[in-house]
Amino acid sequence: MPQIKIYQEDEIPSPSLRIWQVFSSNPFAVLGLWLVICLLLLTVFGPLIAPYTAEQQDTQALLLPPSWDPAGTVEHFLGTDDLGRDIFSRLLHGAHLTFGMALWIVISALSVGLVIGSLSGMMKGIKSSILGHLLDALLSIPSMLLAILVVAVMGPGLENIFWAVGLALTPQFVRSTHLAVREESQKEYVKAAILDGANPLQIFWFVIMPNVWETIIVQTTLAISVAILDIAALGFLGLGAQAPSPEWGAMIAQGLDNLLTAPWTVTIPGATILVSVLSINLVGDGLRTALAPR
Amino acid sequence: MGKYLLRRLNLFVATSLVLAGVLFYTTGLFPVDRITALSGIVSPSPAQVEQVTELYALNKNTPLQFSAFLQQRLSGDLGISITSQQSVSQELMARLPATLELANVAALLALVFGVPIGILASLTQHRLTQHAIMAMTLTGYSIPVFWLGLTLSLWFGVHLGWLPISGQINLLYEIEPVTGFILFDTWVSDSEYRMAAFLDALQHMILPSITLAVLPFTVVVRITRSAMLNIMNQTFIRAAEARGLSTAKIVLRHALPNALIPVLKHLGIMLGPFASYSIIVEVIFSWPGVGSWLVSGIYQRDYTVIQGGILVVALLIMLSSILIEIVHTATNPISRKELYASN
Amino acid sequence: MSQFSIRLLCFTFGLLLIACGQQKVPSGLVYCSEGNPETFNPQLVTSGTTIDATSHQIYSRLVDYDAQTGQIVPALASDWQMAADGLSYRFNLRSDVRFHHSPHFIPTRVFNADDVLFSFNRVIQENHPYHFVSRTGYPFFQSIGLDKLVRQIEKVNDYQVIFHLNHADASFLANLATDFAIIQSQEYANQLWKQKTPERIDSDAIGTGPYQLAKYVKNDHIRYRRHEFYWGPAPKTDVLVFDITPRSSRRLAKLITGDCDVSALPKAGELPVINEHAELRLEQQAGLNVAYWAFNTQKPPLDDVRVRRALSHAVDRQNILRAVYQDTAVEATGILPPASWAYQPNDSLSDYNPAKAEALLKEAGIKDLAIDLWAMPVARTYNPNALKTAELIQADLANIGVHVNIVSYDWSVFTQKLNQSDYDSVLIGWNADNSDPDNFFTPTLSCDSVISGSNRSKWCHPDFDQILRLATATMDRSERTELYQQAEAILAEDVPLISLAHAKRLALKRTDVTETRVTPFGGISFADLKPMKVLR
Repeated sequence: MPQIKIYQEDEIPSPSLRIWQVFSSNPFAVLGLWLVICLLLLTVFGPLIAPYTAEQQDTQALLLPPSWDPAGTVEHFLGTDDLGRDIFSRLLHGAHLTFGMALWIVISALSVGLVIGSLSGMMKGIKSSILGHLLDALLSIPSMLLAILVVAVMGPGLENIFWAVGLALTPQFVRSTHLAVREESQKEYVKAAILDGANPLQIFWFVIMPNVWETIIVQTTLAISVAILDIAALGFLGLGAQAPSPEWGAMIAQGLDNLLTAPWTVTIPGATILVSVLSINLVGDGLRTALAPR
Repeated sequence: MGKYLLRRLNLFVATSLVLAGVLFYTTGLFPVDRITALSGIVSPSPAQVEQVTELYALNKNTPLQFSAFLQQRLSGDLGISITSQQSVSQELMARLPATLELANVAALLALVFGVPIGILASLTQHRLTQHAIMAMTLTGYSIPVFWLGLTLSLWFGVHLGWLPISGQINLLYEIEPVTGFILFDTWVSDSEYRMAAFLDALQHMILPSITLAVLPFTVVVRITRSAMLNIMNQTFIRAAEARGLSTAKIVLRHALPNALIPVLKHLGIMLGPFASYSIIVEVIFSWPGVGSWLVSGIYQRDYTVIQGGILVVALLIMLSSILIEIVHTATNPISRKELYASN
Repeated sequence: MSQFSIRLLCFTFGLLLIACGQQKVPSGLVYCSEGNPETFNPQLVTSGTTIDATSHQIYSRLVDYDAQTGQIVPALASDWQMAADGLSYRFNLRSDVRFHHSPHFIPTRVFNADDVLFSFNRVIQENHPYHFVSRTGYPFFQSIGLDKLVRQIEKVNDYQVIFHLNHADASFLANLATDFAIIQSQEYANQLWKQKTPERIDSDAIGTGPYQLAKYVKNDHIRYRRHEFYWGPAPKTDVLVFDITPRSSRRLAKLITGDCDVSALPKAGELPVINEHAELRLEQQAGLNVAYWAFNTQKPPLDDVRVRRALSHAVDRQNILRAVYQDTAVEATGILPPASWAYQPNDSLSDYNPAKAEALLKEAGIKDLAIDLWAMPVARTYNPNALKTAELIQADLANIGVHVNIVSYDWSVFTQKLNQSDYDSVLIGWNADNSDPDNFFTPTLSCDSVISGSNRSKWCHPDFDQILRLATATMDRSERTELYQQAEAILAEDVPLISLAHAKRLALKRTDVTETRVTPFGGISFADLKPMKVLR
């Protein structure tokens, strides 16, 4: 016997489901999400589906234009660079460097920032102040300067950029966590929980944190896009990934010499960066709207 | 207010100290001799070694060394450049105006175009316009600035041949640096080529300033829009509407001044990324500013230049972000109530 | 700059409407150069960048090379005689040569024998007060052993000097005509000595050349002004600017937008662009140069000749010619280029044979070899893109299981770091300073040049040195050719370096600049250059 619908809705959607409903009603955000999923897959499986290795040189096919150009060939779908390396394959190999590295950096910065930020947010007085402002000096140093300093000490290289970008991102996480925790802990429901006799750890984890996550998630998507742009910019300046590396910014730097003769060696990696960052920002934007209190 | 200012000053001093400490610590990590890393003198003579050791208290303990280091840097002695053997502070002062000029022009562009578009985005009922503006800002926010600069110079410089893509001015013009601001200097110079030089400098300014303005522009648009949306729902606006004021008057007189306050605040937050972007833009357009100087400093492993440049630029950014914060507090009655709150 | 955008500007900035007529632009010439000069005295360096910026602009020499005929022609010396035994050279000097005036120095006398004595004694006499003012030494002169060759320089009167030699040397005059043998002012040196700033003689340069140094901004530009009292035909432009632009694509872009009139060292891959732009022209000439990969023969495992031979078999030079030079070079069969009169085709050079290379490495008992490869960051005449060459070599050597780590720094510190460091191998080359074949051997491979640092292989071979000495002691060309071929054979046997290519000399210019001249050797000269543009 078919159930008769008495109520308009079968159940009241849980908060996370509600967020998802708002999020998925925004087509741009969903598009961004799909792109991000694709990127994630490419980061993991990119090297497997790439037709060539990143450094394989085909000296018979130097500076071949992309396949849609009359002079291009299908073997090299996005053309080749000045050493005859397949740009499509290099992009696939590079996803793991640029995007994977950005994720890795953000996860590390997030964990460190979360710990320091929540500690300082839960504490009171001078200790909280010192912890909260400990990294403010770093926050005022632009990430490029920090990278220059790191390169001066450790030399250029993708691994060293980890420290530069990570150090630049951590204070933001500290700050936003600190502020969010502090703001929440002054609210009445937290006071109610204290009066109920919850210990500080319980208050932090079961009472405050569920309400802080939202801020942090938005901050994280922002940070990923910033990290990608920073890694690529440093690769472009020659301070990050070095010459043969297929990191996207370094690819642009290597294509720079052929900007006038073979613009695709610059435009294609550039467009790839743009699309990746844009898709992350679309997701971030969608999340922010979905999470916004209404 | 006085107490508040004192606290800001306190914070500034504390962060500067931390910054100086970080720099002091890294000087020891540079892969060169400590005497060279501090003073910039390559293969110093015994007399110079003694002098530098004396100046930086190198034979004393670390706290004393740090205080000597601070004294030297505070007195404006940043050492000499390892590659050119000229005073770092002089090189820096020669290049700072170019950077400030470019940054100011870009910021001006961002505000002049960003605020009206932000208002438009908040007021328009037309969905397409709204979407177009938001898509534009999101793209502007996501675009890698080096790629944007390259693409612009490729199109407007090389293919169309409209605009110069490199440097501040055609080098044939010999302009005596008075202030270091090239637009000003060409304007007041007594050279017979004054006008031509001014126009040339203006043309050289266009592409770099537009490239640099993209990031602050998008941020200004988004913040203005959200602030306006927020404010237009407030009761005092509805009261104004009820009094029958025209929309233009409501927007310009009542809403906009309040909407600009968060814009100001975000400008302060954005200074860091903005400086990063300006370094890249200077490199792409060979702009003779601090950014390109620092980057060539790192290519040449010129440790005194790196150290001095980072110190001064970071101090400038800290100072201006605190200034912006003070202005923000002074103009914003709501945030003033937090003046005396803890933290 | 198109008329359209000028009008656009006038429109935008309405207040300037009146001013937007035809604008007066100063007459001058902008040359896009590839890097910072290390100093303003070519005696102290072997780097082409420094020579371009100084030698023919600021200074003059006793004798010059005529680029067209290859003959030695008078410059500051109006004529000269060689003694019959070849042991002394008498120079008669011009009496109408004036030094530059600068804010720091106003010459009170014209150029005379004292200046010649000062300029050369500074180099060859270790007890000369100015000798150690240079921190870098005098690499070219040390490598050719000028201090051992010249016994004494005698001043006969104000306008006559005699160089007394210890032994006859066929390349002596040619060496005096090189870009390094410039004349500085003794009066200026004395003044600086009194002011206790002797090092300024090499930075605030004073010379007798067609242009005088006006301003140098590191990483940005060098500005020269016309020398009013230049002894030769007056230069045709008032102002000469070197716009320092390390990246070659940027130089090309500046040339297209009109920010430069002449541009140095285009990359081979950019040549197709020139055909698309009617206002650009390429000047080229077969060059006297060689690009090579030098091994540090004093450092294991590269001190083992079998390892060096193995590496020479592993590199595919044809591939490098195709990818890096793109038909602007010929494959090197030895160190001498085909444009030299002592050149003979040489097939003893090792062929591309990875299997043989692996066998040689096995024989030497080397496994998991990893070497550093230093590559210049900027384009040089002999190698327009050393980093790319390095990447190709890296891929080639990966095939025989050798790992290559590419090392590079900004150009102005590259040579400095190279001189100080214990490198494994370096991609570099040599651009001849004169047409004498000795210029390819003695400065780059003799035992003396190990000390001066211009021998990048740090390779000293007594038999080889002996052959070079014999070759300069005779004036007979066929005998010398024979000896230089013997020298080439030793190189092919011992492989202190692998010659890669001899490149054409290229320069790009806008068609509104007349009378450029690309010479097969030495630095660029702007004395005759004339831009036609007055209005833009």
